[in-house]
Amino acid sequence: MVAFTLNGGDVSLEIDPQTPLLWALRDNLGLTGTKFGCGMGLCGACTVHLDGAAVRSCSLPLAAVAGKAVTTIEGLGGEHPLQRAWVEHNVPQCGYCQSGQIMSAAALLAANPAPDEANIRQAMAGNLCRCGTYHKVQRAILSVAAVAHWEPAVEGEA
Amino acid sequence: MNLTRRQFIRNVSVAGGALTLGFQLTGCSEEPLLLGSETDFRPNAFLRIDTDGTVTLQIPKAEMGQGIVTGMVTLVAEELELDPAAIRYEMAPVHGAFADPEMRLQITGGSASIRVYYDILRQVGASARETLIVAAMNQTGLARDALQARDGSVISRRDGAVRIAYGELVPVARTLPAVTGVMLKPASEQRLVGHYEQRVDAEAKSNGTAQFGIDVAPEGCLTAVLLRCPWFDGAVESFDAAAASEMPGVEAVFATEHGVAVVADGYWPARQAAAKVDVRFTPPAEGLRDSGAIARAMAAALDGDDFASVRDEPGSGPEDGTLVEARYEVPFLAHAPMEPLNATCRLTASGCEVWVGTQAPDVARDAASRVLGVPREAVVIHNQFLGGGFGRRAAADNVAEVVAIARELKRPVKLVWSREDDIRHDWYRPAMAGQIQARVGAGGEVSHWRHRIVGPSINQQVLPKLAGSMLPQWVPAGATALAGKLAAGKDFASVEGAKELPYNFAGINVEYHNLPVPVPLGYWRSVGHSHTAFVVESFVDELAHRAGLCPLAFRRRYLAEDAPARRVLDAVAEAANWGKAPPGRFQGLAVHASFHSVVAEVVEISLEDGKPRLEHVYCAVDCGQVINPDIVRDQMIGGIVFALSAALYGEITLKDGAVEQGNYHDYPVLRQNEVPAMTVVLIDSDAPPTGVGEPGTPPAAPALANAIFAATGVRQRRLPLQLS
Ligand code: FES
Ligand code: FES
Repeated sequence: MVAFTLNGGDVSLEIDPQTPLLWALRDNLGLTGTKFGCGMGLCGACTVHLDGAAVRSCSLPLAAVAGKAVTTIEGLGGEHPLQRAWVEHNVPQCGYCQSGQIMSAAALLAANPAPDEANIRQAMAGNLCRCGTYHKVQRAILSVAAVAHWEPAVEGEA
Repeated sequence: MNLTRRQFIRNVSVAGGALTLGFQLTGCSEEPLLLGSETDFRPNAFLRIDTDGTVTLQIPKAEMGQGIVTGMVTLVAEELELDPAAIRYEMAPVHGAFADPEMRLQITGGSASIRVYYDILRQVGASARETLIVAAMNQTGLARDALQARDGSVISRRDGAVRIAYGELVPVARTLPAVTGVMLKPASEQRLVGHYEQRVDAEAKSNGTAQFGIDVAPEGCLTAVLLRCPWFDGAVESFDAAAASEMPGVEAVFATEHGVAVVADGYWPARQAAAKVDVRFTPPAEGLRDSGAIARAMAAALDGDDFASVRDEPGSGPEDGTLVEARYEVPFLAHAPMEPLNATCRLTASGCEVWVGTQAPDVARDAASRVLGVPREAVVIHNQFLGGGFGRRAAADNVAEVVAIARELKRPVKLVWSREDDIRHDWYRPAMAGQIQARVGAGGEVSHWRHRIVGPSINQQVLPKLAGSMLPQWVPAGATALAGKLAAGKDFASVEGAKELPYNFAGINVEYHNLPVPVPLGYWRSVGHSHTAFVVESFVDELAHRAGLCPLAFRRRYLAEDAPARRVLDAVAEAANWGKAPPGRFQGLAVHASFHSVVAEVVEISLEDGKPRLEHVYCAVDCGQVINPDIVRDQMIGGIVFALSAALYGEITLKDGAVEQGNYHDYPVLRQNEVPAMTVVLIDSDAPPTGVGEPGTPPAAPALANAIFAATGVRQRRLPLQLS
């Protein structure tokens, strides 16, 4: 059994502890906002937070999250300044990569509240977008970096 | 019947006249479609309004990022006097009412969606509005002129004292004949078209709630993965599932016509067990099984003389100019949409239900019905958001696969492809080769242009499959295969963009040689234009250089005064400050028309250790009336990123009949830290809207190759670009 905190609540799973967190979230816990893109840590679609840091859940065995705090796109709550900025700037095209983009961006801002364009391009290089929304991603992050510093409330409580 | 209907729709599109009833008069046997409840106002198949005033629109096209939901909702909202965000939308079920009026299939492609629905959907909104106003006239006794629609209500024009919400008018409106022949708003009165810059699906796509095909999970649904033959013409010969069947969570392992299915209670256990299955496939047939052999066959065809003419304009002018000649090559490409293919199936008493993000719901329905041997009407398709399509999701191979698995399993099941499955079992953009020769006179005059194209015909493979879903089910497969063969000789998908060369050269010949290969082929964002633009616009650059002219001046010289290509060239040149690149920067130019739009691009690079670094891409597009400027800019940028990824990295190679690449490490695409700055200029136009999903793609590769030539003097004649 693996027990951990998920979006502020306690969960425990009785599945193979080698199961990647991605599939535990999607298939066992029904949280489908976190996406499968490559399964090899190459695309970032599966990005979630582990104790506040961005991780690729496709490559993280469930065993590694025992006792830790996991936050998914569902845990950001929809009113996170980045999510508001994403809507304001119409960032998504197909939308499939965007949960991962937002989770990576949120971790970036938590670590560096005022990133510049170069910081953003570097920090977001692990998140592929086949639709090519990169410029919008940059702009949305910059707009938040300029005005708001987000406190990761959900993770903080955990 | 079909002719009548097409004629009817054409009349509607041209005249902007009456239509609403027409959309229910589809197909001889098909019942009119009535979704929603009996108490709703349902003037046509697209729209319904319930007594609470909720307006629901059926989206007949696939939303794969191109913003079609927003575009369509905007067109209806414009005439129905609503905020686009106030309109609910649903992905339309398969029905003749939702068939593309030109293609006669419910399919999304050819960058056609807004072009073909521009008039139709505004009429849908206008007809509903006028019918609601008639209902208000009945209710208030006021004349038509005394009433107007505003923000979801019909109000009295003079004082606003009367205000009746649409929902309150529904009980009367639903009993009235829909008003037809409504005049559409002139551009000067449009408040949304050309101005609205939000996306109505942005919220759901920013909070994780947008449902893609891969997210669907009907009650009791299991997960399947499929072991497919690595080469494309093999089948399962034998397999040993003993070890796999013992694995935790595994429900079943069995063979279907598509491979060995491993079914478990989740993706991970299914994938783990699949690794333990020992499968033998029937050996590949003889033929072109390696990329090298295919390239040699293409070169040999170019050396020969076996070509079909697709454009034949005899040359004139002196034969004594310098003969310039060059060969170009492009590789097979995968689509690699971010969402790996998947599909979910549940058997029903008469057939099945399928949940899938598809560009072609009725192709999917046809595929499912064939697998089960049931009538098409016994299959229900629930279309979802597509995590990228780019042409890949016009195929229904994933649907046929999951239905075959459900047929054996007899339980609801979701088939999920891995990224490796996706890269190795795509319907690829074909590898192509081309050779152009032309004569350049002393004064730079060009004559005797001859462009020869060699490569496999996409349509020879794809048209029979599409025809299969278009024609009545009793039409034998042989007849549709014949249709494909006939199309192949002068395959438009292989020569488009070359055939319509826009320059006034003295003598233009374009010829094609079909070279079939045992590799599945499909439509890849911009299809034939994705390679013909590279060849043509690179070679035009070579000619300009030979003529000693600036690439911009050279192109302008051979374009008519009023050519749309000239307008976008001038616009992009101005935006890019063409010819005056900052020190250390080098520019390349290309212009290309596709899907009724024209796009010019300037790629600006610098050199870093002799290698090109993308700095800035400038783009000017003429796509007629713009509906949503922000989305058009995004589509240009997205199309350019897609093209640059392919130009720099994209290459699928074959060895022993199998694809050698498998994931984003060996089939890389552009990342955040690699994208150049972008500037997009939209040309003002009041012409009807034309394509935007694809036209941004074709000019990017040649513009980049031309920039590299400007920087290094090295001509790039092969994709991906050879930069070592
Ligand atoms: S799915 Fe995890 S990085 Fe791609
Ligand atoms: S929005 Fe489609 S992959 Fe990023």
